[in-house]
Amino acid sequence: MLREKIEKYLLDVQKPSRYIGGEMGSIIKNPDETDVSFAFCFPDTYDIGMSHLGMKILYSLTNSRENYRCERVFAPSEDFEKIMRENDIPLYSLENLQPVREFDFIGFTMQYELSYTNVLNMLDLAGVPVWQKERSENLSPIVVAGGPCVCNAEPLADFFDIMILGEGEEVNLELMDLYYKHKQKGSSRTEFLRDAVNIQGVYVPSFYNVEYNIDGTVRSITSDEGVPAVIHKRIISDFDKVYYPDNFVVPFTEIVHDRASVEVLRGCIRGCRFCQAGFLYRPFREKSGESIYSQAKALCENTGYDELSLASLSTSDHSDISDMLSNLIDYTEKNKINLSLPSLRIDNFSEELLEKVKKVRKSGLTFAPEAGTQRLRDVINKNVTEDEIMNTCRIAFEGGYSSVKLYFMMGLPTETDEDIVGIAELAQRIVDLFYSIPERPKGRGVQVSISTATFVPKPFTPFEFEPQDTREMIERKQKLLIDSVKTKKIKVSWHNSDVSLLEAVLARGDRRLSKVIYTAWKNGCKFDSWGEHFKFDVWMNAFKECGLEPEFYACRKREYNEIMPWEHLDYYVSKDFFIRENMKAREFKTTPNCREKCSGCGVTAMTRRACFD
Amino acid sequence: MIKVRTVFEKKGRAKYISHLDLNRFIMRVFKRSGLPIWYTEGFNPHPYIVFAMALSLGFESDCEIMDFNLTEGVSFGKIKKILNDILPEGLKILYVTTPEHKIKDIGKAEYSVECITENPEENEIFLTELQKFLELPEINVEKKTKKGIKLVDIKPLTELTNIINKSDNIVLNMRLPAGTQNNFNPMLFIDAFSAVSSVRFETGKISRTGILCADGEVFK
Repeated sequence: MLREKIEKYLLDVQKPSRYIGGEMGSIIKNPDETDVSFAFCFPDTYDIGMSHLGMKILYSLTNSRENYRCERVFAPSEDFEKIMRENDIPLYSLENLQPVREFDFIGFTMQYELSYTNVLNMLDLAGVPVWQKERSENLSPIVVAGGPCVCNAEPLADFFDIMILGEGEEVNLELMDLYYKHKQKGSSRTEFLRDAVNIQGVYVPSFYNVEYNIDGTVRSITSDEGVPAVIHKRIISDFDKVYYPDNFVVPFTEIVHDRASVEVLRGCIRGCRFCQAGFLYRPFREKSGESIYSQAKALCENTGYDELSLASLSTSDHSDISDMLSNLIDYTEKNKINLSLPSLRIDNFSEELLEKVKKVRKSGLTFAPEAGTQRLRDVINKNVTEDEIMNTCRIAFEGGYSSVKLYFMMGLPTETDEDIVGIAELAQRIVDLFYSIPERPKGRGVQVSISTATFVPKPFTPFEFEPQDTREMIERKQKLLIDSVKTKKIKVSWHNSDVSLLEAVLARGDRRLSKVIYTAWKNGCKFDSWGEHFKFDVWMNAFKECGLEPEFYACRKREYNEIMPWEHLDYYVSKDFFIRENMKAREFKTTPNCREKCSGCGVTAMTRRACFD
Repeated sequence: MIKVRTVFEKKGRAKYISHLDLNRFIMRVFKRSGLPIWYTEGFNPHPYIVFAMALSLGFESDCEIMDFNLTEGVSFGKIKKILNDILPEGLKILYVTTPEHKIKDIGKAEYSVECITENPEENEIFLTELQKFLELPEINVEKKTKKGIKLVDIKPLTELTNIINKSDNIVLNMRLPAGTQNNFNPMLFIDAFSAVSSVRFETGKISRTGILCADGEVFK
C-alpha cells in the first residue's frame, strides 16, 4: 500500500501534514464509483498551491459532478522529493493517496513562468514521460495545462497533450464529458485529441507546425487538416451565475493565503499597458452585491475561517462598491471576521464608508504608481495621478498610519533617468506631506518603502513588442535610484533582475525553448521562483547547450508585423488594438478606461455585446 | 459562563497535525460549529480554548484533553455531535464532561511504544538487554529545556508498567512525569536504550494512553 510507504517516512520531513491530505473540506470519492478522474496539479509546494483560488473553484466544480473525481497534487519540497525518489514513491494525490499516473487527466495550472521546470519534475516523479510524443497511444493519462501562462505556453507546447485557453468552469467539464465518451468507446489518445479540438478553447499543440526564419523569428504556424487555425479562449458569459464553491479545503498547516476568498469581478477596465491580466481576462464582468454577500457568508460559515478577502484585479471598480462593502463589513464585524481589502482605492469613498473601512483595514498602505513621473505613467496608461496618491496618503496619515509602501517598475518603454529620479522625488514628497500634517501620528517617524521590479514585457499587452532592459541598464538605474534617495525614511528594495530576464524569455518564447527548459531541469533546476533554488548559471548553460540566446527573446524589439509565437491563440483582444496602444504610448497619450469610453479592443466582436450598458 | 472539558482522540492522518496547527485549526472548527463559545475579552478577542498537554507530532492518542467555555448551556451530547460532524478523519470527541481536576493537577502520562526489530528472532535479545538496561544505576539523557540542554537521570522517573512481546513487535507501556512543570517524552528512554542496544529496531506506533493526576488518579 502506498499509504503505508508514505507514512513510514512522513515524520522525517518538514510539515508532514502537507503530504497526507484529510483536511476539513476535502472531498474523498471512491475511485471505483467514479467515471473520470482529474489530478489537479499545482506546480509548486502545498503552501503556495493551496492559496490559489482557481484550484479551489475547479476542484469543487468537478467534484460537484457525482461521477467525476478531482484530487489535489502539489510539488513535494526537496526533503520529501529525495525520500520519494529513493523509495519509489510516485507522485500521488492527497485525497485517495493514489499515484497520479493512474488518473485520466493530469492537469497543471500555469500561473507563472518560473514554475515550468516544476511541471517536468512532477511528471517525472509521477512516472509519466515528460515529452508528449513519448507518451503511448493509451487514452490516459491526458496531460493538460490551463491558467494565464497558457496564452503563450509555446515553450511548454512539447510537454502537453492539451492546453485550455481562458476560463475553465465550462470547458473543463465539456472536455471530461467528451473524454468519458471516448473512454467508453476505447479510443486512442490521438482519436480523443482529434475530437477535442472541436471544443472552443481546446488547443492541441502537436497538431500545429511552426517554421522559423533564418533570423530566428517565426515564419509560419500551420495547423493540421481539420484542426482550427486559430484557437479562441473561453469566457463565462453570465459571471454572476457562474459556479462558486460554498466550501474550501481548510489546511491544517499555515499557507500563504489562509482565508476565505470571494471573487468579486473578473477582467479589468483600466487597460494599464504593461499588465497582462488586464487584457487576458477581458471583458470586465462583476458579481452582484447579493451574490458576493451570500457567497462570502456561505464560505465563512462552512470553512470556519475568521478572515475574508475579496479577490479581483481592482475591487474599487465594482459598480456597487459602497453598498457591497458596507453590507459585507456589517456581516464580518458582527461575526468577528477580519475583512481584508487588497487593491482598494479609498479616495472616492464617502465619509461614512471610510470610517467603516478604516476600522477593518489594519494592514499597511500600499500603492502601485509603477512609474516615477506623470509622463511615464501616461506612457503605461496607469491612470493614477500624484494628487490621488497624496490625497489618499493624507487621509491615511490623519487616520494614524505612518508607513507607506510604493511599487514601481524599472525599464519601462521610453524610460529616462528623469523617471528614475522621479521615483525618489515622489517618495520624498510623501515624507514631506507627513510632516506637514498637524494631525499626524505623534512620536513616530514616517517610513516610505520603495519596491522596484524589472519590467517584463508580456504577450497580449501593448508592450509585447518592446525589448526588456539588459542587466547592465537595470543595474545602472538601480544605482541612480539609490543615489537619489537622501533620507533614511525612504527604503529601497528590488527584485533579482536575473529572474526577470528568464521570466521575459519564457513569457515571449517559442517552441524551441522546450529543449532549454528540459535541459535546465535535467541539470537540476526546479522551484526557480524561490530565491534559494534559482540557478541562473545552469539556465544560461542550458541556453548555450541548445544554441539559443536569451537576449533574442528578452531584449529584442519586435516589429508590428512580426509573427508572434502566440499568433494562433486568440484572447479576444486584437493585435491591431495592441499596435494602436503601443503607438499611443510612444506619444505619451492615455486611453480612457472601458467604463468611460470603449476603445475598441476587439472583445465585443467576440462577445457580440457591449461590455457596459 | 459554562466550563466544558472534552476528551478526544487523535489518530490516523490527524497524527501529522502539529500542536500549533491543531490550535489554529480548532478555532475554525468552533467558528463553524455555531456553538456559543466564550471569547476572551482582551484587545484581540478569540475563542478561549485550552489543550491540557501538547502531543508530539506523530503520536496517536485516545485521551487528549481540550477545555473551553460556553456563554450558555448546551447539552454534552449535542456538543459532542456538533463537533464530531465537523471534525475530519482521525479527530473525534470521545466524551464531554464538566472539569473535575485543574490542568495543573496533571502529574503523569502513560504511553505505549511499539518497537520493531529487524528480525523477530531478535526479540528475545531485545528483552534481555532491556532488562539489563533497567538494572543500570542511572540512565542519563540530554533533555532540551527552555534554558538549554541539561543532563537528566530518567531512571527514577520512568516506570515501565508492561512489556508485551508480540511476534511482529514489542510493545512497551510506560508511565512518565507530565504536566505544566515537568514533561518527559517516551522517546528519551527509547533513544537511550537504542544507543546501547545491540539489536537494531525502529519505533512503530506511539500512543499516549492515559493522563493522570500526581497521585495516580485518572485526570478528569
